[in-house]
Amino acid sequence: MAESEPMEGFICPICMIDFKTPVLLTKHFEEYHKDDPEILRSLKDLFGKAKKKILKQDDVGDYPDAIIIKNHKHSLEIDWGPQDIGHIRSHTKYFKEIRNTRLERFTTENNKLLIRLDKLLNQLPTDPIERKAYEQAIVPWMDDKDARLCLTCAKSFNLTRRKHHCRLCGVMMCHGCSLFLSLEKARKIISPVSVTQDDSALSPTTENKSFTNRFVRTGIGLTKLVRSPSSGSLNTVLSMMSDSNAEQFFRVCQHCMNLLDSQERLKARHFEKPIVYQYYEKMQSQIKDANKLLDTYNKMWQSLNEGESTYRLVDAQMVRGKIAKIGDNIDVISKRIATLVTISDDSSAMLKQEYRLNQMVRSSAMLFLKNNLLRAPPVPTEEEYEKIKRDRQERIKAQIAYERQLEQQQLEKQREIQRERHQDRSIIKSPTTPTNQMILDQSQGWGISNRPTGNMMISSTSIDPFVEQMSNLKFYIKQAREECKFEEVATLEKNLKELQSAYFAMQQNDNNSQE
Amino acid sequence: MNVITAVKYYVAKMTEESGPGMKVLLMDKQTTSIISLVYSQSEILMKEVYLFDRLDAAVRNEGLKHLKCIVFIRPTEENVRLLCNELRFPKYGIYYIYFSNIIPKTDIKLLAESDEQEVVREVHEFYADYLAISPHLFSLGINGCSKSLNWEPTHLQRTVQGITAVLLSLKKCPLIRYQGSSDMCKHLAEKIRYVLTQESNSFEFRQESNPILLILDRRDDPVTPLLNQWTYQAMVHELLTINNNRVDLSNVKGISKELKEVVLSSEHDEFYANNQYLNFGEIGQVIKDLMEEFQKKAKKHEKVESIADMKNFVETYPLFKKMSGTVAKHVTVVGELSNLVGTHNLLEVSELEQELSCQNEHSSQLQKIKRLVSNTRVRDIDATRLVMLYALHYAKHTNNDIAGLCSLLKNRDVPERFTKLVYSILDYSGISTKQINLFDKEAVAKITKKLFKGLNGVDNIYTQHTPLLNETIEDLIKGKLNPQVFPYLGNAVLTRRPQDIIVFIIGGTTYEESLAVHNLNKQNPGIKIILGGTTVHNFSSFCEEIEAAMIGVVPRYRPRSIRERNED
Repeated sequence: MAESEPMEGFICPICMIDFKTPVLLTKHFEEYHKDDPEILRSLKDLFGKAKKKILKQDDVGDYPDAIIIKNHKHSLEIDWGPQDIGHIRSHTKYFKEIRNTRLERFTTENNKLLIRLDKLLNQLPTDPIERKAYEQAIVPWMDDKDARLCLTCAKSFNLTRRKHHCRLCGVMMCHGCSLFLSLEKARKIISPVSVTQDDSALSPTTENKSFTNRFVRTGIGLTKLVRSPSSGSLNTVLSMMSDSNAEQFFRVCQHCMNLLDSQERLKARHFEKPIVYQYYEKMQSQIKDANKLLDTYNKMWQSLNEGESTYRLVDAQMVRGKIAKIGDNIDVISKRIATLVTISDDSSAMLKQEYRLNQMVRSSAMLFLKNNLLRAPPVPTEEEYEKIKRDRQERIKAQIAYERQLEQQQLEKQREIQRERHQDRSIIKSPTTPTNQMILDQSQGWGISNRPTGNMMISSTSIDPFVEQMSNLKFYIKQAREECKFEEVATLEKNLKELQSAYFAMQQNDNNSQE
Repeated sequence: MNVITAVKYYVAKMTEESGPGMKVLLMDKQTTSIISLVYSQSEILMKEVYLFDRLDAAVRNEGLKHLKCIVFIRPTEENVRLLCNELRFPKYGIYYIYFSNIIPKTDIKLLAESDEQEVVREVHEFYADYLAISPHLFSLGINGCSKSLNWEPTHLQRTVQGITAVLLSLKKCPLIRYQGSSDMCKHLAEKIRYVLTQESNSFEFRQESNPILLILDRRDDPVTPLLNQWTYQAMVHELLTINNNRVDLSNVKGISKELKEVVLSSEHDEFYANNQYLNFGEIGQVIKDLMEEFQKKAKKHEKVESIADMKNFVETYPLFKKMSGTVAKHVTVVGELSNLVGTHNLLEVSELEQELSCQNEHSSQLQKIKRLVSNTRVRDIDATRLVMLYALHYAKHTNNDIAGLCSLLKNRDVPERFTKLVYSILDYSGISTKQINLFDKEAVAKITKKLFKGLNGVDNIYTQHTPLLNETIEDLIKGKLNPQVFPYLGNAVLTRRPQDIIVFIIGGTTYEESLAVHNLNKQNPGIKIILGGTTVHNFSSFCEEIEAAMIGVVPRYRPRSIRERNED
């Protein structure tokens, strides 16, 4: 069961003594902790529950250690077993399939409109009649006879509700259903910026076609120019008059307008990237840096506080300083974000929303600073660190002493065993010892005999392998420290030390052998 | 098998999938509660979610194109329609859409066709479609799930979705058992099985043993929600009402502004997590300790003299602040509780409630009820609940005086709504057709009570009652649950002892039952039990449940006096 073992038995929560029976414990309480009636009461409560527990009447889970807050934690934890994220079903693929088939239709239509618009704008005649002919030449208009009703509002055409044509698709509609696209706006849609955009959508073949069409079109335009005055009916005069008002416009149907509008919106989204975004990105990258540094700092702090000498105190201080600096940066950036937008009561809803967003960004930054940066524990001071180190050394010494003792004991045991064995094998062993000595002598002799050349090596060339390596390492350490990669510093320093001691040992060896 | 973790994983995944950048969370009413139960605002801020928006709000906020929008909504028709509009005129830059339950393909198609500007990046189903209150407790937030003692169709639909979501989020494909005596249970069980077979692809999980889904009906144990409670969480809900972890304290006299509404969340309030199952006496002691600890700390901070002190203060400041908030909150709540207990004689009322629920002494209990009902300090609802308990217990007693007690209530000027409830609960519980006698533990109780008195004279008389659920689950664990009373749906039968158990109570569960399940989970380390209900009741919400259920039902129980008069 989850209950922890200290709770077995009748334990006084104040003196932590186990009394074997509830009666004894209550008595102990009445005698020693008289001044604390609260505890006594709760204790009695507790017994009531314990009894019920025995009799299986009450909710058994109320724990005897309930009074002591600290002990709650383990009594509470129920093992819910391993758990990963629940089932997920994705519709993204299906969604995109449907969307793409739909959008394909939509984009071809859109492209057609753009090409037509481009043609219309190019060399558009200013004379209304000429212009009409020109327009009709580019976009085939629906025949007047084909529609009795306006195709948008389904009202019948008559003298007052005249027939009009969409300049982009040629469909028929009444004046009320017409929308007007200003030439200026049309030019903007076809502007070079957007053209480069649209080209990506257009396949090269269609583009070529549009160019060839442009040449053909001028020819047709000229022929139409001759033809148009012949149709001098009342109808054209009237439409001319109304058109002259809308000289700066193209008459467009609702459908085409929608298409163009959504195209524009799409474009707008591509270019929009407000200033707050840049600040925010900067802030996030700072937060990321801070987190990385915090990780290393925490590692360093832990190691320092245990008295290890893997990291240097100065380094830890430097990291902490850096963290503090980043913290300042985050604070400054978030403050700037918060003051990017100012609002008053009559500001637009959009502005207010933006203001709210910026405030939230600021408060989240504050939260981050408060929770993560301010809680970073301070580096121990020199004296503290020295003390920690000493403590640790003492601990290690004690540990080593203890281990030595163990070793010694073991050695003694082994020796005893060996002694027994020695006695058995002394006869066999005695002849082997001299040969052993012989080999030793020989190796020494080899050392001596080679000494002069060895010395030469050290004085002339041996600088490169060891010393060079060491100076290299020193350089790396310096570099790593500059980049705040303290783990690498630690390993590099370790390497350096090993190298140094190896070098030292070698030299001594040499010295010894020289003597 | 931890429902809070399950929901948290989903939310975390949502915020991660959209990558770095400023985000806005677009939700509906229900998903807002679902998320707010498991994530605090500061936690969600750390996930770069800075704004919250409601899809169904009458006045929508203006959009900001540079934001990424995470949409988390239930797959209702209304929501799909609103989202289609949103996509047609997008307020935000990019959309990541998550539905909290299974959504028909046709709806996906509708959405895809509305996404003319290609703003949608992802569309997923994330099954966080329930309110995760504790690791072992979930609710669906449905009040009054039945009408005329049968399912309200919309609520049935929601319940099926809720349970399906629990199963999918925990990756469990269960065997279903249900309470045979209840039509509603059977109906729900069949609906769930239908979904399991329809969506069998989704329900292919690797599981060591078959989990059990046990569906119960509140009507089988109407006693538990009637009782006053004495463990912290249950007591707060009974006396102050917990709504999505929030407690409204605005009625408390002289309350400070920031304490008008407090949040009690076991996820974010360590004190609450540790103490929500303690009884009232113990909580008082713990609060006292907490106060002392706090005072100690506060005092220590008062004498900030040296710079080292200051530094120390600043460094512990966030903790300090958090702690002072916790102290103030719990002191206020517990203070208000003890105030209510005192002014309304709740100890006496509760003692009698417990006696009524566990013991069998008709005449003396009747006398006590009469005395308390005429006591003006006792609240109307407490007087009513005593009479209701009496009616449930002694409905078949030959000398019962239900009518007399009702007239006493009327004399007190108790609203008619409450006096009607006395008869309604008899019909609701269907006491005449009942198979299990709720009060048959009385004999045991009597003996043990004597034993206690004999031993020491101390006794917690306020927690004598154990909910019926406890026994049912214990039987289920031991494999002794009667297969006639609780049949399996279909042919499959579990032969081994169950390891994962999900219990669902139609008509709502209670915090007393939640505590019982919590304890069962602790006593049986190898077994995990999760409890769910259409809602979590206290007395007043349970009254509403009964009233809703009784709409259109011809009352069968009438005061005897009337019956006799009719016979004459």
